[in-house]
Amino acid sequence: MRRTLGIVLAVVAIAVGAWFLFARADPGAPVRARLDAFADMVNKSTVDGLGPEARSAQLGTFFTEDVDVELGSGAAPIHGRATIIGMAARLQPRTAAFQIRFQDVSVTMGDGGQTASVHLTAEFIRRAITNGEESLDAREFLLGMRRVGPDWQIAKVTAISTLQ
Amino acid sequence: MRVLVLGAISFITFRWVLIPIRTEGSSMLPTYAPDKLHFVNRLAYGPSGPERGDVVAIMMAGPHVLYVKRIVGLPGERVGIAGGQVQINGSNLAEPYVRHRRAWDRGEVTLGPREYFVIGDNRGMSAADHDFGRVQADRILGKLIF
Repeated sequence: MRRTLGIVLAVVAIAVGAWFLFARADPGAPVRARLDAFADMVNKSTVDGLGPEARSAQLGTFFTEDVDVELGSGAAPIHGRATIIGMAARLQPRTAAFQIRFQDVSVTMGDGGQTASVHLTAEFIRRAITNGEESLDAREFLLGMRRVGPDWQIAKVTAISTLQ
Repeated sequence: MRVLVLGAISFITFRWVLIPIRTEGSSMLPTYAPDKLHFVNRLAYGPSGPERGDVVAIMMAGPHVLYVKRIVGLPGERVGIAGGQVQINGSNLAEPYVRHRRAWDRGEVTLGPREYFVIGDNRGMSAADHDFGRVQADRILGKLIF
């Protein structure tokens, strides 16, 4: 019994140690942090006093000037930060009942740490204004990210069809 | 000490073997209702792989968000949907788990050597609101056991 416990504890200790070392050495951590900041920004309600235009402009800072968004399923591609800011401003009144969450984020660094490829699942949680009921939708995305000065920005968004 | 061992065994079991999931949405009605707890057996499949009729969990970018679908087409088969009826190699597939059918149509596809065709049991909903189609074997996390 004592031997079994020793083995179990040793395995757990090794796993915790490996996780700790890996997490500390993760070069993708700033990219993940940037995506978390983006999700936080999207999820903020309008109670902080920011108007739709100001919030949309803030959201725009997460994208490169020449960002490309391809959502597939017949949706027209979106090009450029200005287009995204305009769309976000128009959608803003509806987004108070909308939350986004990123799951299973995997980051692959490239180009000497100046670019990153990110594979993730985005969960979209909509809350009905009438009865407060929540519904969840999820899509898989591939993001191309680029370091611009001190920040990471999204340069390309491609929706992936999990089922084809 | 026993509590520690039990805790470690539970941790390993529910993290790597039996994965608890909560269903969302109505695409697997009436077999699986939304907002219920189920378990995925990650060790269900050996070299032979899933069988037709299995309900499986399918990974999106990783194991935290999953599709739950039923396997109707196996590698190498021709699969199509005509008037709501799934056809395998040109023959209608018997599907006792389907209660209502809308007239879905999907052109025939030939599955690759590592591809399965998956679909939900709820065919009474609009096809546009229902995700289904081909999936690579390596995206199948495991089989729902209940």
